[in-house]
Amino acid sequence: MAEITFDGVTKVFGDDIKAVDGLSLNIAEGEFMVFVGPSGCGKTTALRMLAGLEDITSGTLSIGGTVVNNVLPKHRDVAMVFQNYALYPHMSVEKNIGFALKIRGDSKAEIKRKVDEAATILHLNDFLDRRPKALSGGQRQRVAMGRAIVRNPQAFLMDEPLSNLDAKLRVEMRLEIARIQRLLGVATVYVTHDQVEAMTMGDRVAVLRDGKLQQVDTPQHLYDRPANEFVAGFMGSPPMNLLRCHVRAGKDRVQVVFGDQVIELPWDYTSSHDLPPAGLDVVFGVRPEDVLVADAQSTNTLKTRVERREALGSEILVHLSLDSSSDTSQSPRGELARPVALVAKMGPRQKIAVGDVVFVQFAAEHAHFFDVASGETLRSR
Amino acid sequence: MTTLATPPQETNEPERPALITPRKPKVGRWALFAVMVGVAVVMLYPFWVMIITSLESEQQFLSGGGFSWLSWSGLSSTIPVGQEVLSSTIVCSASIFVILCVGLPAGFAFSKLRFRTSTSVFLVIVSAMMVPLQAILMPEFVNVTKLGLTGGYFGAILVYAALGTPFSTFLFTTYFRGVPDELIEAGIVDGLGYVGVLGRLIIPVAVPAIATVTVLQFIQIWDDLLVGLLFIQNTNERPITVGLAVLAAGRTTSIPELMAGSLVSALPAMIVYLGFQRYLVKGLTMGIDR
Repeated sequence: MAEITFDGVTKVFGDDIKAVDGLSLNIAEGEFMVFVGPSGCGKTTALRMLAGLEDITSGTLSIGGTVVNNVLPKHRDVAMVFQNYALYPHMSVEKNIGFALKIRGDSKAEIKRKVDEAATILHLNDFLDRRPKALSGGQRQRVAMGRAIVRNPQAFLMDEPLSNLDAKLRVEMRLEIARIQRLLGVATVYVTHDQVEAMTMGDRVAVLRDGKLQQVDTPQHLYDRPANEFVAGFMGSPPMNLLRCHVRAGKDRVQVVFGDQVIELPWDYTSSHDLPPAGLDVVFGVRPEDVLVADAQSTNTLKTRVERREALGSEILVHLSLDSSSDTSQSPRGELARPVALVAKMGPRQKIAVGDVVFVQFAAEHAHFFDVASGETLRSR
Repeated sequence: MTTLATPPQETNEPERPALITPRKPKVGRWALFAVMVGVAVVMLYPFWVMIITSLESEQQFLSGGGFSWLSWSGLSSTIPVGQEVLSSTIVCSASIFVILCVGLPAGFAFSKLRFRTSTSVFLVIVSAMMVPLQAILMPEFVNVTKLGLTGGYFGAILVYAALGTPFSTFLFTTYFRGVPDELIEAGIVDGLGYVGVLGRLIIPVAVPAIATVTVLQFIQIWDDLLVGLLFIQNTNERPITVGLAVLAAGRTTSIPELMAGSLVSALPAMIVYLGFQRYLVKGLTMGIDR
């Protein structure tokens, strides 16, 4: 078990394609770190560099205090779980799990003991004689895990290991992987594009975009205090609502102007955010669950219209347009539709229909402001 | 009193799918069947003639009927058929061994390892497949003669290996392109080097491709006359095809004996083909579904 340190690690493919750009990150011993981001953000490349499957263009990468830039994969003492499991098709489950130990030169008795131990943890004892093709997706996934844990490595590396499983199995395996990781206490780097996996599994989550680390933090902190517009929009499902608006400091309140509508937020925002009294065009962010339906008589509301309604059983996602919006388009049924500005998460029994005019408020303490040009949060550090 | 017009046969029942009726045999199918029977007859008739003729004596063959084992018992005294079959087996096995030893790692390298000239070198090797044997026979003969290898098996093995390697490299490259990279990477992370990956992970999953190369090369080498005739000049090391050619070229050729010899020559190739047929089809169609 060891800590992992990326120090300005960069990977350039060809002459100018920067897959990872100056990644600096420390993963503590026993920590579950999730790399998350959209396709092509560099998360898998970073993991592959850690495994030794890609060369590092510049920067240093250390495992347990030893720089491993030029260390062969087999000498790094890391175990990897691949997206498509990469089980050896001509070997039984038992041989698959014990293969690395055999290569290492462990005795037969030792291999048997460790394989049995791993099989017990993963509930695979009944399948040890089977070939991978005779296993279900979930069982294959567990064998891949078994192959990793049996080595008792310094670090586990997992490259989207659940993406080939169906939704139900994915939830089960998510819990299973988290349980095993905590049981073994091995530093783990887990790559995924699924922010639900990132939120539920990681001790910390590193969000990457275009090869650059955007933010690394605990899942809740990442959700509550995104460092920029990208993180705000990426984490959370549905993502944070992001609207262009003008902000100016009013009398004891902060005024947020959406076209011809104005709402006011507590004055506290001026102390926690860089909001100049003279006014500023910003991107306003609010999570769907922080958009609240208000009475028509309430003050400090936005007048919106329901454009779409998605009933998910436990909740309803309501797509709202600002009623002041003059942009309209013809829907397939001939109705005039406005561009959706906000998505609100509402209770399943909320009486709401397409076309309704709804007044909404925002949970005052959960508003976010981002710089229009850079996308960085205006929250003071 | 007003009457309501009834809508034309509108019901809430979902439309039933048409009943599945057994397909009637069409004329085209019968024609195809007839053509296939015709092709089978054309292909199998020579074998039938070979079997029947080999079971006749010279006299019975000339007089047009009868049954005798004479041609089979006389075959071994006319030509050293056992020795020739052994020679063919040695040349075939050794050539295929060399072809596999070169083609497998080459295919692995071209498909899975990244190096600058990989595509151009691969294209050069593949283009060598297009060169007919006859075009390079004389230069090959000169080279092999200079090396002093025209007497025994070695010259022929070298030539067969050189001729078969481009095809096997091409086939293995195509096959290995379909093997997931993760399988190799998993082996590397587990502690193998590239040689270990090839030996312990790739070869076991390449059985269909190995079988395909083996069968196709076996048939080609076993049935070849020209290389054996030119490059194996020791009479006690000549392969069965050369032995049969010598028998056929004799002044008093016994047709039943020739047929018996031809059968002996044809059987191993057929046995190998039938034995590996399952893998052969798999090997030849690989890549189609990817």
